Amino acid sequence: MKPILEIHKLKKTFPITSGVFRKSAGVVKAVDGVDLDIRPNETLGLVGESGCGKTTLSKMILALEKPDSGSIRFEGLDVVNARRGSLSQVRRGIQVVFQDPFGSLNPRRKIGSIIEEPMIIHREGSRVQRAKRVRELLEMVGLNEDILPRYPHEFSGGQRQRICIARALAVNPRLLICDEPVSALDVSIQAQVINLLVDLQKELKLSYLFISHNLSVVGYISHRVAVMYKGRIVELADASALFESPLHPYTGCLMDAVPEARPRKGPVLRSLKRGGIEQVSTDLPSGCAYRAWCPRAEEICERETPVLEKKGKDHFVACHLAAPQD
Amino acid sequence: MVGTDLIDRQANRQAVDGIRHTRKPDDRDVLVDIQDLCTYFYTPEGVVHALGGVDLKIGRGRTLGLVGESGCGKTVLALTILRLIPEPPGKIVRGRVLFEGTDLLSLDQAGIREIRGNKISMIFQEPMTSLNPVFTIGSQIEEVLMLHQSHRAPTRKQARTLAVELLDMVGIPYPHRRIDDYPHQLSGGMCQRVMIAMALACRPSLMIADEPTTALDVTTQAQILALMGELKEELNTSILLVTHDLGVVAQSCEDVAVMYTGNVVEHASVEDIFSRPLHPYTKGLMRSIPTVDARRRGERLHAIPGNVPTLRDMPKGCTFHNRCDEVMDVCRHERPLMFRPHPDHCVRCWRYTNG
Repeated sequence: MKPILEIHKLKKTFPITSGVFRKSAGVVKAVDGVDLDIRPNETLGLVGESGCGKTTLSKMILALEKPDSGSIRFEGLDVVNARRGSLSQVRRGIQVVFQDPFGSLNPRRKIGSIIEEPMIIHREGSRVQRAKRVRELLEMVGLNEDILPRYPHEFSGGQRQRICIARALAVNPRLLICDEPVSALDVSIQAQVINLLVDLQKELKLSYLFISHNLSVVGYISHRVAVMYKGRIVELADASALFESPLHPYTGCLMDAVPEARPRKGPVLRSLKRGGIEQVSTDLPSGCAYRAWCPRAEEICERETPVLEKKGKDHFVACHLAAPQD
Repeated sequence: MVGTDLIDRQANRQAVDGIRHTRKPDDRDVLVDIQDLCTYFYTPEGVVHALGGVDLKIGRGRTLGLVGESGCGKTVLALTILRLIPEPPGKIVRGRVLFEGTDLLSLDQAGIREIRGNKISMIFQEPMTSLNPVFTIGSQIEEVLMLHQSHRAPTRKQARTLAVELLDMVGIPYPHRRIDDYPHQLSGGMCQRVMIAMALACRPSLMIADEPTTALDVTTQAQILALMGELKEELNTSILLVTHDLGVVAQSCEDVAVMYTGNVVEHASVEDIFSRPLHPYTKGLMRSIPTVDARRRGERLHAIPGNVPTLRDMPKGCTFHNRCDEVMDVCRHERPLMFRPHPDHCVRCWRYTNG
């Protein structure tokens, strides 16, 4: 099936300035040549540490940030150069749910008007039709319609996140970008929101780009997972294949770092001890960006930048040393 | 009302007392013994019972994980131990916090200041905002040393030498150069290391860590947890680790206390909590953790229905009864006592009356 979103060789850099006169001191390659596609009715998980470019990538998909080069096509439409009519079409098709449900709802407006607003912006329906649609949306996300005249501060985090989801669904999007949608929520509430997202996907045939640093949540909800490191996709695979046999050493490192909810036997977390994974992603002249921390790095890793290559069924890795899977 | 309350308190005491008796009869192993601790907040909307009679023991050299959802009173408990609750609106209504035999709640301001930062130190969730942005990290560590450890660091110069050692101990590369950095020059993980260095500067007996890794990436989190574990072994410090992440608890704690709406509902060793959770709330938490395998089998995530009740309008009886799938009649009317169905395992649930 034809992908709903196609990203090709996408690049975005930000200048670093220093000193009083804002002298240019190099660039940060926030997104450095990303190729990615999202299929209809699919959840693509995107994981990586803070600063790896996840949010910059999602902003470019939403046409909130203009890439330096590369292309993004949504249902055949050019997102990068979209103007007026086509931009509005793109924005109606792609909606977003943010991490912080406390910061993303206007505290001075009632829930009813918050959910209705996207429809007013996109000039959809009459007042009566919109009111009906708002009620439908509330039912969809499992909220009662008596909340309409209330204000956001009266709700808990989980309820607010449901309101955010209802607002995002108001204009019938096909692609929903979920930027850390559950990481601000408590464990028991997290499960409710994840279940809701799974149900909505089935019901409305939605596609999700699910961005998170929580690997177990991503593993649960995603069909395919992309791992991002310093602006590049280093591994892209079917969720179960990725978790069973991660091929990129960075993916392995990430998985080891996730604390398992099972009491440990013997010492753990030793491999990560006192290594500086945290380093600002400024330029490396060439080669693999991960080579400095990679236990298997060889001479070729310094010389050549690895590209995303097919190493198995639906399994792509950007590593010179990854062995092909049958 | 008073009568039942007293019985309730005595029953709790007996259950918690039992925990250590079976393992080690010697009470010197207990560093902190919290008894019937109640902290209330007097707000214009009414009295909020942030802590409703907490009983808890922290063993010497052990890590106790305090788990619970936001608003359950985890942070209030940590702040109450250090007497950092703003009064008013807060008030420590009753209870005792025995630390190495002395009741912290009976100390005067000078007395508690001797303990704070010295015997008991604290690490907060946001490393970036807990450090003062206008001072170098070196001068902030030196301040702690000169304030509390004047015998070890009588001069600024000696304090500086010690500060470099501390930075080295928490794994900051080039500590003699980094010591003159300002907090904004360091990453989140590095700032948290500095916070740990400050917390350990006085070799405290107890370190309270309030969500120390929540704001950090998983890889950084793993490093910080490993670091805390190592330093604990080295200095024989006890740690009270406040967190909502069950994975973190499983990997770094020896004992676990689960809190719900201002009370400890289950208290046991980490193995027991994970292999046989007793309280329906704990069981629910365990089942709501997503895994890759679960999805492949087509399972839905188990979600605890409803929301955490706000501390202002608590349900009658057991505060969990309206979300509980094992609810009984008694739960709706009477607050459960702390029961001890297994020697090292306390639970506040009517299901375990025979224990």
